[in-house]
Amino acid sequence: MAATLQPPEAWLPLTPTVFAILLALADGEKHGYAIMKEAALPAGGGISLGPGTLYGTLDRLIRDALVEETGLTDDARRRYYRLTHLGHRVLAAETSRLAASLRTARSRTAARGVRA
Amino acid sequence: MSRPNPILFALYRHALRLYPSRLRLLYQDQMLQTVRDAHAERQHRPSLFWAQLFADLCISAVKEHILMTRDEAMRRPIFFHAITLCVVLTLMGGAAAITMQQLLRRGADQPQIQMAKNYASQIVVGKRLEDVLPPVHIDIARSLEPFAIYYNDQGEPVGATGHLDQSVPAPPAGVFSYLRTHPVDNFTWQPRPGLRIAAVAFHVNGPNPGFILVGRSLTLVQQQENALRRGTFITWFALMALLALGALFLNRAQARHTIAV
Repeated sequence: MAATLQPPEAWLPLTPTVFAILLALADGEKHGYAIMKEAALPAGGGISLGPGTLYGTLDRLIRDALVEETGLTDDARRRYYRLTHLGHRVLAAETSRLAASLRTARSRTAARGVRA
Repeated sequence: MSRPNPILFALYRHALRLYPSRLRLLYQDQMLQTVRDAHAERQHRPSLFWAQLFADLCISAVKEHILMTRDEAMRRPIFFHAITLCVVLTLMGGAAAITMQQLLRRGADQPQIQMAKNYASQIVVGKRLEDVLPPVHIDIARSLEPFAIYYNDQGEPVGATGHLDQSVPAPPAGVFSYLRTHPVDNFTWQPRPGLRIAAVAFHVNGPNPGFILVGRSLTLVQQQENALRRGTFITWFALMALLALGALFLNRAQARHTIAV
């Protein structure tokens, strides 16, 4: 697929919704509701996803080859999704980008004596 | 485990039709299962849960349709450009036709304004009405000639060169009261169905105060407007047909080129 030929940086910056979904799938396959729950946690991005937003975004992530269906399911209504190799690389690239921004923000706010 | 309200759940299931059909066919069952799961473990009041759910549905449905349209346009850029061009040409053509129509209509007032001014300037200095208005009898329903009617300050006709069915017609209600506060009134007068007059009226002071109205049939202007409308439509239709044919041809040529590559 042509999409996989692009470097991970081509997808950056990710929207908060996409980042939360990729982050939820980073530690293994999950079904839709499990992704929603994970994304709603503060550590998962604190994003409140509705089913429409979730599956619309998942559909585009599958099209862009960042996410794939596992094909394993015990119920046709509860399908599982996982990150592809490209999905892992894109998530890593976004994490590095955010970490660099965070470092800069911390150093600048610290220099001004601002505390969170 | 609590089950979702059956009425709201059925409503949500039907509302999924708001999504593009491809997305709905692929994910409808999963969306409904996710709603059941989320409802079973919800932490908010049911009303808030459903409000958030329907808000998400509305927002994401609009978003999905926009994205789908964008993807379609990216897949078939020639059709997208053709449609954009169609819209632009239609808007430009419509604006030009409306402007032309307005110019034609305003042009139809031209001789009447000058004539009304001439009559008013003679009446205001005390000239007799019989000496001001020419001794002619114009049939308003048939003639294309300009005609004049002088009404006294009470709005009663006291002299006229134009007649409709052997009597002097009265202008629309409100014309005289408007002229008591404004110097001139230009309006389209329809003394009877199918007969439109481009009328100009002035308030006249002096020894015989009143109102001078000069009008002319809009038949010629209507014919010009009809010709303009016909011409505009034929030009628009020809342009749209050319664009559609061009887009089809280019799309096929592009498809052949893609296969060859």
